[in-house]
Amino acid sequence: MPLDIKSSVEGTTGRLKLAGELDGASAPAVRTEVEKMLTNKLDRLVLLVEELSFMASAGLRIIIFAKQRQPQLKIYVVKPQEPIVETLKKTGFYDAVYVQDSEPGEAAAQ
Amino acid sequence: MPGSDGPSLAVAPQAPCLMNEITLPGTLDSLEPIRDYVAQNAAQAGLDKSAVYKLCLAVDEIATNIVMHGYEEAGLSGDIVIAAGKVDNSFQIHLRDHGRAYDPDAHEQPADTDLDLPLEDRRIGGLGILLAKDSVDDLQYASGPDGNVHRFVVNLRQDSQ
Repeated sequence: MPLDIKSSVEGTTGRLKLAGELDGASAPAVRTEVEKMLTNKLDRLVLLVEELSFMASAGLRIIIFAKQRQPQLKIYVVKPQEPIVETLKKTGFYDAVYVQDSEPGEAAAQ
Repeated sequence: MPGSDGPSLAVAPQAPCLMNEITLPGTLDSLEPIRDYVAQNAAQAGLDKSAVYKLCLAVDEIATNIVMHGYEEAGLSGDIVIAAGKVDNSFQIHLRDHGRAYDPDAHEQPADTDLDLPLEDRRIGGLGILLAKDSVDDLQYASGPDGNVHRFVVNLRQDSQ
């Protein structure tokens, strides 16, 4: 299933909605989108992944890339499907990002 | 040119012949059809949804390495031959290629302590092999004059045989 990518930046929050399958073929487009978003100084990067059905390690590398580019960035992973939660846990990402069922409220950026 | 001999390479020693073999170009565009092939055959073999996903992940990670490191970085081109089938009490996927040898055991994986590091201090490499190995019961590799073979083994539960 091709990957659908939608992004927006509002203030210091970047939102990236991913639907479909994120693999080595689709990852470069995601990374380009994240790079564009990070031309702004962001406090939060919110990954809306409810409709993301597959994520390879290429997706993890994009998260590392974003954190290395802007270490202050808080990364939220919203509504990941169970297999993606497992991937985040196995690789130690689960405790390094905010995994939650809804988008962060304004207070979360404080 | 190495990597252009197509699907005629012999199966590596001791590799059982599997069914339903297909040949795809060794490019990133083949990752999705490879996952589709794995998912379809694994589901038919009786693997549950979670095991199917994990097998797809393992095969995808290694296929990505074959394309990126075995073919593209080495300046080679060629195919990936994929086969699936039941062997004794296991379901297996075999990936064969003619690229530069890419032994998953020969590449450093993140240590447990690395996985606890803050993301900004993490190294990029090794996560794919970690996921591939962790997602199947066994991942075997052999390389020889006839090419490279990765074997993904998922042990079948009694009720899925």
